[in-house]
Amino acid sequence: MNFAPRYLGRGSWLARRDPRVLVLAVVFFVFAAIQVWDIRLVALLLVLALAYYRSARIPFREVRRQWFIAILFVSLLVFGNGIFASGRVQRLPDGAVQHIYGYLPLLGTPISAESVTFALTQFLRFMAMIAIGFPLAFAIDPAAFGVTFARLGVPYRFAYAIDLTWRFIPSFAADFRTTMDAQRVRGMDLGERVGGPLARLRRQVPILVPTIVNAIAGAEDTIDAMDLRAFGTGRRTWIRELRLDPTDRVVLLAFVALFVVATVAGFTTSSSFLWIPPFLIPS
Amino acid sequence: MTAMSMQRPSIWAVDSRVIVYSAIGAALYGVLVGIFKIPVPGSTAVDVRPAFALVPFFGIAFGPIVGLFTGLVGNMIGDQISGWGLLTSWNWSIANGIVGLLAGLAPMMLASMWSKGLMNKAIAGAAAGAVAVVVGFLFVFTDMIKDQMDFSAVLSEEYVPVIIGDLIATIILVPVLIYAWEPVKDRLGR
Repeated sequence: MNFAPRYLGRGSWLARRDPRVLVLAVVFFVFAAIQVWDIRLVALLLVLALAYYRSARIPFREVRRQWFIAILFVSLLVFGNGIFASGRVQRLPDGAVQHIYGYLPLLGTPISAESVTFALTQFLRFMAMIAIGFPLAFAIDPAAFGVTFARLGVPYRFAYAIDLTWRFIPSFAADFRTTMDAQRVRGMDLGERVGGPLARLRRQVPILVPTIVNAIAGAEDTIDAMDLRAFGTGRRTWIRELRLDPTDRVVLLAFVALFVVATVAGFTTSSSFLWIPPFLIPS
Repeated sequence: MTAMSMQRPSIWAVDSRVIVYSAIGAALYGVLVGIFKIPVPGSTAVDVRPAFALVPFFGIAFGPIVGLFTGLVGNMIGDQISGWGLLTSWNWSIANGIVGLLAGLAPMMLASMWSKGLMNKAIAGAAAGAVAVVVGFLFVFTDMIKDQMDFSAVLSEEYVPVIIGDLIATIILVPVLIYAWEPVKDRLGR
């Protein structure tokens, strides 16, 4: 079990960027992507996202499990949406007719060129958003999260709380392992998978409760230390200074432009409607 | 010093105590949420996530701001550690935050029950947590706008599975945590 945030992209071109750029890139990209429904443009967004992801130089073997889970989850979500939508397809241009291939057995859900296109577009869009989001997880120095959010306008007390959260993670992870080991020594079988969910939930209590209560009880020392240093009485400074260099500005500007173009195109072109590839339409 | 003030601060005050408990809640939730998942037999979508009980519990025990932060940032950190990305499902993080916020208002709204002993406190905590889960996760319906998901898909694939799993965790574990925390709280003089 590895809980600590992994800085896998260390030293890469993307990791050398001001961390605010990585956060804002995700924000602008996600809000641009959710406005686009033309599959050709969504595919283009995915290519852009993958190029951005590659610049973080995250070793694939280190994140293949995460990719697998993400792809599986997105596939289930998209497939399930297709089933539950019962043939209703969003973002079709006015007056568009559906070209139905057939119906799902038992459920009777129609499968059409439009529903397949919708599902594919949704899938590609999710993958693009995940590819943009991955560097945020693996190419930002975990020690820089507090200052990043503070400089993005988050009130400094909350930015400090974010910083503190990252700092607590390794020690809580260690406490958690110690608690597990202590329960194992007492004869608890952690691998046991018998019983219903309630029984299994009950078996987690001897691990969860001591971990949680110990963490809370230990908080008083941190609170006293902060109070003794007059936390909250004046503006806080951060050891690390963040400064946007020209490359950061260009990257940021590119993502802002992407968002603006997607928004304007949504009002002036058909980019916010589905485009059905001709080869999917039955003759 | 924390012990110097005789007056109880407002539930909306953001002092060092709130900051530290918020960070602890978010860190614990972020670390534990991905580890413990108990599948419910006969269902592919429903997992009981015991660590979720931390969100309403931190709200109930330390106030709405702590609850909001625990849910919001804890969920983002859990997503970040898993590789899903901090902001990919930002609306789900907000939903988690709303659960913590609403649960944090429980001691105020259930004041009469809250002062009648530990058992009543535990029952009120479970009830408040359950209401907060049902109401707070309504925010995931924003997936209908964000991802153009169908209403019935969000309902059957997302909302219902998540509230079933989280209700089980909340109703069982919030009282357990209240029972465990209250004596420690008294011992610490809080």
